[in-house]
Amino acid sequence: MTAVGERLPELRRTITLPDMIAYAGATWDWHRLHYDPDYLAGRGLTRPVVDGQLFGALLAELVRGWAGPGATLTRLHLRFAALVFAGETIVATGEVVEVDGATAILTLKVTVADDGRVAVHPAGATVVLVAP
Amino acid sequence: MLTGQLRAQLGREVVYLAPEEIGRAAIRYFAQAIGADDPAYTSGDDPEAPPTMICETNQYANLPADADGYPGHGWHLDVPGARLVRGGNAYEFHQPARASDVLTVTWRLESMTERVTGGGTPMLVVLSTATYRNQRAELLAVNTETLIYLGGGA
Repeated sequence: MTAVGERLPELRRTITLPDMIAYAGATWDWHRLHYDPDYLAGRGLTRPVVDGQLFGALLAELVRGWAGPGATLTRLHLRFAALVFAGETIVATGEVVEVDGATAILTLKVTVADDGRVAVHPAGATVVLVAP
Repeated sequence: MLTGQLRAQLGREVVYLAPEEIGRAAIRYFAQAIGADDPAYTSGDDPEAPPTMICETNQYANLPADADGYPGHGWHLDVPGARLVRGGNAYEFHQPARASDVLTVTWRLESMTERVTGGGTPMLVVLSTATYRNQRAELLAVNTETLIYLGGGA
């Protein structure tokens, strides 16, 4: 039985440059911000920037993993708060803030494990659960 | 920041018809790239895509990469002296996209609003929607995207 205050098992992921290259290929997004040292240096950056869209995918997986098979993710929103760089470890977390019948409303967040920087906030999701 | 030339673009729409179906391999590749091992993404005759996949990928647009290497949809707004950053996304998922789906994606420039950051930097907040339908015109997802043009040399 899902209750307000329930916390989702956290999703922890170190995002390496090969991970970023795989994501760039899989999304047909070859923006130089994500891999090109000369491009980055010209913008005062020292490390490739993780594509923020990836956090949407990871938050969706966080919610689906918690909700289980048969549940339906109907809404997801996220706001980017800080850049994340190649090699950093992120932690995605979530908490149930409202339950209305089979529908649960969640708040979500992505932080960088290395220094506690908030990368994605606010964020949230709506999921329709299946009866146990 | 919100010039008459920019204001005239409000309500603009662009429609993209994907050149092919999404495909099983593209779904498996995306799932692998995000570290997702849900069997729904690889099993059955017509596996489903991870929920955000169609909103994050540029496969449907079939555009050449720009000078930054980006081959996706853009409005190419001229905001002098401003730096573009991503603000966020809000997704509505109506039904899963599947490997056999051929996407039609409609982008619409919904609004442009001048604001000031907490630090006093002027910014232009640009809201767009992308609506994703399959070859049967079934609504799959709606993506509301926020882009921010930071002015003042920020």
